[in-house]
Amino acid sequence: MALTEQQRKSNLRLGLFLASLAAVVLIVFVAKIIYAGS
Amino acid sequence: MSAVLDPQGQAGGHADDHHDHAHPHGWRRWLYATNHKDIGTMYLLFSFAMLMVGGVLALGIRAELFQPGLQFVNPGLFNQLTTMHGLIMVFGAIMPAFVGFANWMIPLQIGAADMAFARMNNLSFWLLIPAALMLVGSFFMPGGAPAAGWTLYAPLTLQMGPSMDAAIFAMHIMGASSIMGSINIIVTVLNMRAPGMTLMKMPLFCWTWLITAYLLIAVMPVLAGAITMTLTDRHFGTNFFNPAGGGDPIMYQHIFWFFGHPEVYIMILPAFGIISAIIPAFARKRLFGYTSMVYATASIAILSFIVWAHHMYTTGMPVTGQLFFMYATMLIAVPTGVKIFNWIATMWRGSMTFETPMLWSVGFIFVFTMGGFTGLILAMAPIDIQLQDTYYVVAHFHYVLVAGSLFGMFAGYYYWAPKWTGVMYSEFRGKVHFWGSLIFFNITFFPMHFLGLAGMPRRYADYPMQFADFNMLASIGAFGFGFMQVYFFLAVVVPAMRGKGEPAPQKPWEAAEGLEWEVPSPAPWHTFETPPKLDATATRVIG
Repeated sequence: MALTEQQRKSNLRLGLFLASLAAVVLIVFVAKIIYAGS
Repeated sequence: MSAVLDPQGQAGGHADDHHDHAHPHGWRRWLYATNHKDIGTMYLLFSFAMLMVGGVLALGIRAELFQPGLQFVNPGLFNQLTTMHGLIMVFGAIMPAFVGFANWMIPLQIGAADMAFARMNNLSFWLLIPAALMLVGSFFMPGGAPAAGWTLYAPLTLQMGPSMDAAIFAMHIMGASSIMGSINIIVTVLNMRAPGMTLMKMPLFCWTWLITAYLLIAVMPVLAGAITMTLTDRHFGTNFFNPAGGGDPIMYQHIFWFFGHPEVYIMILPAFGIISAIIPAFARKRLFGYTSMVYATASIAILSFIVWAHHMYTTGMPVTGQLFFMYATMLIAVPTGVKIFNWIATMWRGSMTFETPMLWSVGFIFVFTMGGFTGLILAMAPIDIQLQDTYYVVAHFHYVLVAGSLFGMFAGYYYWAPKWTGVMYSEFRGKVHFWGSLIFFNITFFPMHFLGLAGMPRRYADYPMQFADFNMLASIGAFGFGFMQVYFFLAVVVPAMRGKGEPAPQKPWEAAEGLEWEVPSPAPWHTFETPPKLDATATRVIG
């Protein structure tokens, strides 16, 4: 059975949140290293 | 041929046969795969292929170390072998293999029809192929493969040839694949459980993978950042890690191990989940201390973020820093001990039988605990300063990663393969594989403790005569261990893929619990198309 529209949206929301979490980790980490090195 | 390879042969049960005509066949089935079982199968086959490649490199190392002196390879190539062995085993074999287990088992265990993002799942897998080709292909680039160790320490990485760029790019791709896989697993577990499958009723394999996936999301970007900085140091004039330009190579070590130590737990936590499924099934008792197992897993994951510098005691950190990382590391023994004691308490007064999955699980506890104890010894700064970069460390992490991760995966294979393939494996062959692997594993790695204690450093192609006997023994063991894995593939996996063997019943293990045993064997191509109605324990389908 295909996912309902509601399930699809809920999955997408959580997936995007987790992807942005990974992106934030990367950005904060790189910014911290560059700041610490300057 | 089993239904794993031939969806036409699928059984009934929860399958929706009307979907069958829509299956792609031939190469399209695999290239365009969105079915979690197909993708799981591809992950497992890919990781086994990488295990073989990494294993051949390991045998190259052991062949050279069979005797003192230089026999087969020069020291430069030797360093390439150790580096590539580590990278391939960690990123190509162990991590993808556990993702393969996750793909196969998580939807089945939580009563979901598939993974949450089926197309992204396909991409996660297929990204691994170019990455692996690039990594392995780096051997054929000018200057040979990277030789900076699997940790890719600066400034060695800044001195390598173009193969280092290929390796960095390969790791970027593999990291992206891991992050996508992790997102998929988290969303699947959190959003797609069948009604009644509450988090605290979920099989521990799903729990350990949920926590592992969070770990991956937290640390893979850090690795990506570190190797990108290495890349900019190499080509774009930055000096993050280059001491010649005012950079700090010790900073690289901090960053790498901030990724690297959680990575160690990424490679072992899913194995804990597998063992937690198998031991109750063959002890014929419910798992002792389920809740404490969940909290222990989470505790290990949290603590893994504050122990990274125990890999760096000899870099000259202050004694207070050494003390902090020493005590934090030793603290991990507490939740790990909770798990070990829970497994033993589960077995205590159980009606145990020792089919192959149980043998691997008990073997896992035995040898993994030895690796855990040597980890405790290495956690102590005064001892570690003596043993840093010796074969004692090599012995320690192989006891954890081979006897831990790999044995856990073999246990999981023998436990779940009847569900995947629809045929039972040969108990005799499984037991030959287990005993051969256990004995040869210990012949290989136990002597390394003595070599390390006597001061033999790792990553050297040659050694003095005093280390000859133990090295010869270790090399013989390594070739025996490698032979057992070829035997496993030819005598156990290939017959199963061809559907040779006794037909597997729906539940081959009488005391096994979980929704995966509620579907026929082999598991039909489509399972739990409509959310199943579960009993109060969420281990049986009642409608």
